[in-house]
Amino acid sequence: MDPLPLARLQFATTTSIHFLFVLVTLGLVTLLVYLQTASFVTRKPVYERMVRFWGSIYLINYVLGIAAGIVLEFQFGLNWSGLSRYIGNVFGAPLALETLLAFFLESTLLGMWIFGWHRLRRGVHLALLYGVAITAYVSAFFIMAANAWLQHPVGYEIRDGVAYLTDFGALFTNPTFTMALGHVVSAAVLTGGMVMAGISAWLLLRRTPDYELLRKSLWIGLVTVTVAGVPLMGFGFAQFGAVGAVQPTKLGDEAAKAAAVADFTARFGPDEYLPPVWANASLGFMILIGFTLAWAFVMLPLFHRDWIVRLKFPLVIVGLSIPLPFLASIMGWLTREGGRQPWAAYGLLKVDDAVSGVSGGVMLASFLGFTALLLALTVANWLLIAKRAARGAGDPALGRSLDTDPAADDARPEPALAR
Amino acid sequence: MELAWYGLLGLFFAAYLVLGGYDYGVGVLLSGLRGDAERRAALTAVGPFFLGNEVWLVASVGILFGAFPILEGELLSGLYPAVVAAVAGVVLVTVAVQLRGRPARLAARAAWDRAVIAGSALAALGWGAVLGGLLQGVPLRADGHVDGVGHLVTPFVAACALTLLTLVVVHGATFLALRMPAPAGGRAPVDGAIPSAARWARLARRLVPVALGAVVVTSLLGFLSARVTAAAGALAFVPLAVLVGSLLAVRALAPRRPGWAFVASSVALVTPVLVVGLGLYPNVLVSTVDPAATLTVAEAAAAPATLELLNWLAVPAIPVLIGFQAMSWWVFRGRVDGKAPIYW
Repeated sequence: MDPLPLARLQFATTTSIHFLFVLVTLGLVTLLVYLQTASFVTRKPVYERMVRFWGSIYLINYVLGIAAGIVLEFQFGLNWSGLSRYIGNVFGAPLALETLLAFFLESTLLGMWIFGWHRLRRGVHLALLYGVAITAYVSAFFIMAANAWLQHPVGYEIRDGVAYLTDFGALFTNPTFTMALGHVVSAAVLTGGMVMAGISAWLLLRRTPDYELLRKSLWIGLVTVTVAGVPLMGFGFAQFGAVGAVQPTKLGDEAAKAAAVADFTARFGPDEYLPPVWANASLGFMILIGFTLAWAFVMLPLFHRDWIVRLKFPLVIVGLSIPLPFLASIMGWLTREGGRQPWAAYGLLKVDDAVSGVSGGVMLASFLGFTALLLALTVANWLLIAKRAARGAGDPALGRSLDTDPAADDARPEPALAR
Repeated sequence: MELAWYGLLGLFFAAYLVLGGYDYGVGVLLSGLRGDAERRAALTAVGPFFLGNEVWLVASVGILFGAFPILEGELLSGLYPAVVAAVAGVVLVTVAVQLRGRPARLAARAAWDRAVIAGSALAALGWGAVLGGLLQGVPLRADGHVDGVGHLVTPFVAACALTLLTLVVVHGATFLALRMPAPAGGRAPVDGAIPSAARWARLARRLVPVALGAVVVTSLLGFLSARVTAAAGALAFVPLAVLVGSLLAVRALAPRRPGWAFVASSVALVTPVLVVGLGLYPNVLVSTVDPAATLTVAEAAAAPATLELLNWLAVPAIPVLIGFQAMSWWVFRGRVDGKAPIYW
């Protein structure tokens, strides 16, 4: 069995799962920063309750982002040892910096944030969340720089078939980096807003007692979707020109495509240099979803006299829209990654030369095992998010005051060590 | 400069074995606890540190990729099944510990707890097998490819895997002896169902002979294996002696000095990294089929320009990383008590 398609399929599956969760992580942490800052400044209890409720959903979601991220990090070495052999000198640096400067701190600070409620001073606790959010953005920055380098290698020279770093700064002025970073970050913020608005809408339909909290969450969520949609589209359309210029086989016109194919054939021998059809089809669907989400602004005037809640059907529409940003994100990735095939690093290293020399059987076992594991965990994770959300903002375990009797505000069994 | 980065890689991976080690040790020890309250109490002891522990692994692999890209590709793909087992274990523990407290039903929590136990054991066995695989060398060809995965199936690798499992379990027990409530100290009485610090200390003491036995068997298998004696040098004996000494120290210190017993079991978990690092030096990945294909530290390292960049950007951050970890250890120091925040 040929290990290459299996390795590609495994990477596509793991990245997609990772992406679905980190989008929400990045989006919700941004909104949590707003909510906890508001709680710090106004001292209104509703904001603290919002931080605890949305924080618990954020934390459940965070888990799978890390889990899939760990699998991804190891997959580079397990399945794509050619990447490290030929381009590791350049491509490895942003990944190393991401783990050291971003993820390491993000998780360490988050552990303190979860357990630091009522133990640390309010200002310190808020600062921890700022740290978590900043490092999450730094993560996105380095990962997108690494991905952009694979899309359009820059700042390197080839000696004896191996790439050497010559200009690290070029990685961050890469035309496939800047616009894409803005696009992905806007998508994450929009997705966070959509999740917040959608869950609030479902809970409001049930006539929960938490009217004030949920109405506020719905408002914040829909405003976020509306506002984030503008840069999302701006950065999205801005990419057509930039990407088309450096990746003619993805977004160039017919003449540019033919010229690029002739050039690749001359340098690397004959191969299928045009990307698969689905890569472009998913771009169309993504744009369609984007235009649909852009209508979020029509919901905002309905907050006048709470018509949005009284009419009910707007809540159903908002609730049903939760999957849209996730679908659009996956389609965006299919275009970005599928559209550069057959290249692992565009115009430099083909996927056949990057795949590890592992046998097909080993690769198949790894693909099936990890995919089954991650899919099962994904389903379990989403079910837990849905159940946590359905229980409402009553009293999540997160940030529970040590003085309250836990049995009184939550159906969960008593904490083990509390008297 | 490569040597400094090699040392840093060793430091991060050793820190992972020490810190992630007690996560996995506690995870395996959950199997001896029946009720939800007891298990939850043990996980509360790990509590605030859990998220900050596995980051050392992610950072180790980051350093491996950034500073030793060739080694990264060949080590991970060369020891494929062992790495896959370890990663699957790490993923299971990461997810299960953080999610086990979310469902309200006790049966669902018990199911997640089984995933914690299985994942912890798998992670420890997997990393043990990776270290064993490094010590006996891999069939690395000159083109960088490793032939097959059958080379991993040896008694020595199995013994290494089991040894690391016993070490993390001892370490988990000394950690709980240090963190769990000690009723004699004039604190509030512990719920009768929850094992106190003293019980964990006794367990740690009883587990030391098992771990020592595993270390002795693994060492003997190493001597008998031509591949291990060819790949590893005499320098490996120094950390091996430290390992035996630190295990004996755990047995002596556990009943009275939980802090020092924990230090001793931490040292025990640093030694496997030193056995591999010093034993193989100056090589990092020994080829059993072609001596010319063997990778040395210098050959495995990234180009000077890349290392210099990492020197400028990453090295200044390392005190900050350790500073925030230390902050977490300081804020949540001491034994857990009725006021300990509970989330897992």
